[in-house]
Amino acid sequence: VFLAALIPTADREVSPDATLVHRLLQKDVSAFEQLYDRHSRPIYSLVLRILQQAGTAEEVVQDVFLQLWRNAAQYDVSRGPFVPWLFTLARNRALDTLRLKSERQRRREDQTKELPPIASVPQYEQQFDEKRRAEKVRTLMASLSPQQKIAIELAYFEGLSHSEIAAALKEPLGTVKSWIRNGLLRLKEELQATT
Amino acid sequence: VSDCVKFRELLEAYALGALDVPERAALEAHLATGCTDCAKALAEAHWLVNQLAYLAPEALPSAMLKVRLLQTVRAEAQAAKQSASPKSAIPFWIWAGVAALLVVTIYSAWNAQRLQHDIQATNQKATAILQQRRDLEAQLEAAKREATIVTDPASVKIALAAQKTPVPSSDRVLQLWLIPKAPGGKPIPSLTVRPDADGKFVLLVAHPPELMVQTKALAITEEPEGGSPQPTTAPRWVGGVS
Repeated sequence: VFLAALIPTADREVSPDATLVHRLLQKDVSAFEQLYDRHSRPIYSLVLRILQQAGTAEEVVQDVFLQLWRNAAQYDVSRGPFVPWLFTLARNRALDTLRLKSERQRRREDQTKELPPIASVPQYEQQFDEKRRAEKVRTLMASLSPQQKIAIELAYFEGLSHSEIAAALKEPLGTVKSWIRNGLLRLKEELQATT
Repeated sequence: VSDCVKFRELLEAYALGALDVPERAALEAHLATGCTDCAKALAEAHWLVNQLAYLAPEALPSAMLKVRLLQTVRAEAQAAKQSASPKSAIPFWIWAGVAALLVVTIYSAWNAQRLQHDIQATNQKATAILQQRRDLEAQLEAAKREATIVTDPASVKIALAAQKTPVPSSDRVLQLWLIPKAPGGKPIPSLTVRPDADGKFVLLVAHPPELMVQTKALAITEEPEGGSPQPTTAPRWVGGVS
């Protein structure tokens, strides 16, 4: 029930995006540009966090938005809001790209040269809402134990499974499962408490 | 219900993509059963996991990414418009050719149908004519088997001709009879004749005028050679005298 208040409803969040996506079906370049302006920053941030390399991240973001442009009909309004759908699309693309790269190649990369630019001050209310949401999630995550946070981030940003995380952290499988589950439940509770 | 409780504990990890293969397969099998409560809880888990995207440090893509994307998108939109516009994509003369071909095709189809209809009508007429001819031939054939008897009151002669008459056996002949008008009157014997091998014969008989006046009909029977005083067989032909 508490998530019902948190999860954006179709009317509240999907409506403007859904309208723009619908215009993509008529190959409306202006609609595409608006969608890019609204969502390219969080999408790029997510992809860059996963891939840790700006050039590759931009290629993936380009693929994501071109997929949106060419296959706009794939987004079904009735199945949920647009933003989570786009996040999922981008994360899956990024994790696929990550799995294609060898571990050795990734280690060679000089990540210090690929630090992302700092975001400018949000100019639109939609960006402000995103900013507030991001701050809230970061704050709540910071309240988790370091192990819970690491386990969850390895799963989300690295795409590792329970057993892979257990191997990486050299911890028992059951412990890792508990960290992730309890951490996510804590996050859920905190989101509920702050709403 | 116990299954649902067990699977609910896996939903967040499933949405996160962290379940190992056996657990993931078991949960997906359960979701495939159409459990609506778990499906709803999974939607919430997906939303919760999506919030983790905001943990990524904020970053901006380069301005060149937008430039590249818009160049690609504009080019594809232009190509889509051109392919969607038949006037610009297909020259007028092709449409004219297609239209002319269409007209010729329709006319040919109509003409073929008309010709087929005419052929059917002609066939029906020919069939009717053939049938009429067959009927006439049958009538003619039947007529040939009948005797033609002509009486002439002026000359008081009877001319009798026949074709394809069944030929009697060698010791028998055909005999002409005059059937009197008087009630109970006995048939009056007349000449005998034997048809040739083709069944043809001709009789020319002269009788007194008063006898013909009293005659109402003529008949022919098959009799022993030399004739009989009274008919011994059923008449082969009977014809009235007017």
